[in-house]
Amino acid sequence: MKKSSYIYTAVIATVFIECAIALTALPRSTESELEKRSLAKFPTLTADSLFNGSYTAAVSSWFSDTVPFRDEIMEQSMTLKNAMGIKSSLGKKSSGEGDQDIEYVEEDNVSFVATDNTIKMVDDDPDKILTPEEMMQDTTAHEDEVDAKVRFATSGIIITGQDSTTRAMSTFHGSAGSGATYVGVVNKYKEMLGSKVNVWCMPIPTAIEYYCPSSVASRNKSQRAMIETMMTTLSGAKGVNICDVMAAHKREDIYLRTDHHWAPLGGFYAAQAFAKAAGVPFRGLDAYEKKVVPGYVGSMFGYSKDINVKKNPETFVYYVPTGVSYTTTFVTYFIDEEMHVTGESKPFQGSFFKNYKGNNAYLNFMGTDCTLVKVQTSTHNGRRLLILKDSFGNTLPGYMFYSFEEVHVVDYRYFTKNILKYIDENGITDVLFANNTFAVCTSYTSRSYSRFLTKAGGYTPKPEEDKKENADSVDKAKAVADTSKVKAQEPAAPKEEKVPEPVKEEPAQPIEKPDTLA
Amino acid sequence: MVFSDLFFLFCFIPSFILLYLAAALADRHFNGEPNRIKNLVIVFFSLIFYAWGEPTYVFLMIAAVLMNYVIGLWLSKSEGNARKAALGIGVALNIAIIGVFKYASFIAGSFSAIGIPMPDPKLALPIGISFYIFQSISYLVDVYRKESPAQRRFSDLLLYISMFPQLIAGPIVRYDTVAHSIKERTVTADDLSEGIFRFMIGLGKKVLLANQFSEIADQFLKTGADTLTTTGSWVGILAFALQIYYDFSGYSDMAIGIGRCLGFKFNENFNHPYCCDSITDFWRRWHMSLGSFFRDYVYIPMGGNRKHQPLNIMTVWFLTGLWHGASWNFVIWGLYFGIIVMLEKFTILKLKRKPAVLLHIYSLFLVLIGWGIFYFDDFSQMTSFFRTFFGGAELFSSFETGAALTGKFWLWIVAVLFCLPIRKWFESLTEKFKGGDALNTAVRIAASVAICILSIAMLVGATNNAFIYTRF
Repeated sequence: MKKSSYIYTAVIATVFIECAIALTALPRSTESELEKRSLAKFPTLTADSLFNGSYTAAVSSWFSDTVPFRDEIMEQSMTLKNAMGIKSSLGKKSSGEGDQDIEYVEEDNVSFVATDNTIKMVDDDPDKILTPEEMMQDTTAHEDEVDAKVRFATSGIIITGQDSTTRAMSTFHGSAGSGATYVGVVNKYKEMLGSKVNVWCMPIPTAIEYYCPSSVASRNKSQRAMIETMMTTLSGAKGVNICDVMAAHKREDIYLRTDHHWAPLGGFYAAQAFAKAAGVPFRGLDAYEKKVVPGYVGSMFGYSKDINVKKNPETFVYYVPTGVSYTTTFVTYFIDEEMHVTGESKPFQGSFFKNYKGNNAYLNFMGTDCTLVKVQTSTHNGRRLLILKDSFGNTLPGYMFYSFEEVHVVDYRYFTKNILKYIDENGITDVLFANNTFAVCTSYTSRSYSRFLTKAGGYTPKPEEDKKENADSVDKAKAVADTSKVKAQEPAAPKEEKVPEPVKEEPAQPIEKPDTLA
Repeated sequence: MVFSDLFFLFCFIPSFILLYLAAALADRHFNGEPNRIKNLVIVFFSLIFYAWGEPTYVFLMIAAVLMNYVIGLWLSKSEGNARKAALGIGVALNIAIIGVFKYASFIAGSFSAIGIPMPDPKLALPIGISFYIFQSISYLVDVYRKESPAQRRFSDLLLYISMFPQLIAGPIVRYDTVAHSIKERTVTADDLSEGIFRFMIGLGKKVLLANQFSEIADQFLKTGADTLTTTGSWVGILAFALQIYYDFSGYSDMAIGIGRCLGFKFNENFNHPYCCDSITDFWRRWHMSLGSFFRDYVYIPMGGNRKHQPLNIMTVWFLTGLWHGASWNFVIWGLYFGIIVMLEKFTILKLKRKPAVLLHIYSLFLVLIGWGIFYFDDFSQMTSFFRTFFGGAELFSSFETGAALTGKFWLWIVAVLFCLPIRKWFESLTEKFKGGDALNTAVRIAASVAICILSIAMLVGATNNAFIYTRF
């Protein structure tokens, strides 16, 4: 027997025991800052879950999801994966490095494609022929990035650039006709609201439309094509096409590099275009105080798992109006883990702009998506605006205080009342649909908006409604995909956006127990 | 449960070790049989291990073992024709179990496809059934041939069949190789050190190599199938070849390693298969326990090379294919190799001077085509893949192929290197000089610690981690 066998066994046993103690005895992680989500919970035991194997599977994934120092270990793991590559000089277009987990069809799109049985989503519209103008647009969109390093990360995310130009973007897979259902709902709103209320439709393109390198252009579809089709099929409702506006400013920081959202500056140009179309007053950026949050790393890091995104934070800049006085009233929704509304707070006043630092800076507009916001401004022009939006739309209301007497903000996921009644009771004169193109393509968005029209109030659990609607198309895959709808609505949106405490304490907000429960 | 799961590594294994050590103390203290309580602990943990993934089918496995236990006793008590009948019934029952749970849907589907309607029972495949049923058959045949006496104790037979290291993905351990160790076995420090190192090698193969190549293979062959280019199809199938080798041989390494630590010496399952110089040679190096099972229990009983050899060969390869899965592509895959092996008998195996380099290229090329058949259980996908593979598509895509190769450049290099018998070379080198043992130990320690830590990093938050061969 060799002495070395004893030495080897002793050393490895020691290392193993230390690892085992570290992984089992230290406090477990509960939340991931990296991926901005709550980690798996220890499952509850039922006879069913025990015998179909889901309980034991959940215990295993709970254990690996919640290991102590999870985020730190994950970061090391990403660095490691990044190091497997070589700096390549295979040519300008083909150089790639880093995590090469290419998936051509983005996870999110898979789910929204699958949930939708009414419109064509996956394929290119074969009938679509690019106009010369569109082709021009395409080339101009790509020219800046031709030399950039391009690589795929997980979930169909493309990473371009390096150092301070690193940008992570989700590829778009909708076709020219993908906005049809959404436009149908917008038209329905117009039809039901009649001539007294203006209905506006302003689809928001995402970053990939402007910064997609030509080497991967075949993996990405034109959002402009879809938006232009939408504009021509609106009836009664009016379109605001911001594609050109955004293209004109693409050299400015109108999109966040490390987040799936646009930057507040992009929202400013869009708001300007909307104000012009709506014929309301609008003030330039000199009427705003510029606020700067350094060191911002957005959601795309957790989604792409590409360490370069984390290593190259950006500066988050947002604008707070100074020449207008306003009061903001919130109704906060209580939601369960599946994001179903289970109750709501009494209205309370708070400040529209929050004071989040670091990676939560995008929460500075109203703090969360699951709230109903009403802003009364010192402007008096008889115009009252309702914005129907996803989180892209969160940047918009802050630019509208000079333009409207009242600005109401409703998120398409959380609204418990009847929207027609709400518009009527609040004397709304203008309704603005402001969703990003990914949400436009998601059938859940349209379904949710049409539900608003018939809602009687209260908190009908969503899954049952969905099941009814899907009953016609009993396709298991679709039903499964439907459960991921919350994830599908935005490009690589975090499953559950954590709402951490603001850095600077807000005036105490009287969040009360829900007073009405269905 | 799978080996490359943090829960297995850091909850299951530590609890098992603690109880096993306590059992060892108890065995010594009560001075009875040397391994009585230890064996019970292995059985207990094996059942938990299996039930973790198959909480209902664990009862099927126990029932199958009980059945084989009874038949084994019957075999041992009878002679002549009764003995033959007992074996026949036993084997038939085992085949019936695997037939129902693994092949019923396949058979029903095949009959329906040719116009004979048959209801599909829609049974889920029990994990590892192919392995434990084959071990059961091995037990019955070995008892029949009097190579080992029948197991008198049910829990010890259960131990042989259900032993968690090899339960769900092999190697297929023959009863006569472990029958003695169940009763009496010793573990030396050499065994421990070798067992732990083998386990670590296997863990590294699975987590650090196979899991990475599975991403590349799926990227080209699954998600990117519509836009596959010829070079892409080559990169994809190469990645799959590396994935399946490191996945399966990694599992075997871990199984053999754990077995060694417990005092069981399982036979080797892989011997650097991609170093083969013919397809015949490949199959002597790949999944050796399956090959020897079919050789000893099918090929030779059928007459081997003494009578109707071609029929014997094709039967074995048909079964080899079918064993891998209830799908026609696996059958084709098996027959494909059967035909090549048969042709080789009359051609390259007769060569006196062998052009080594050419033969290696020839073998690897045919193996790659084999993996193409193996990967696609959908025939239209398979044909479109092979059309692309042989040049019937755009030849080169600048982006994906280059990115897959350069983006994981070091991974490819390491993976290709470790297909060679590097460990053997290194160890024979270190044996030659003084202090070589110390160097060898230092390298082993460094490699093991690195694998342990890197694997933890890779496994945190990981999904999609299952071993390919647990499906078979």
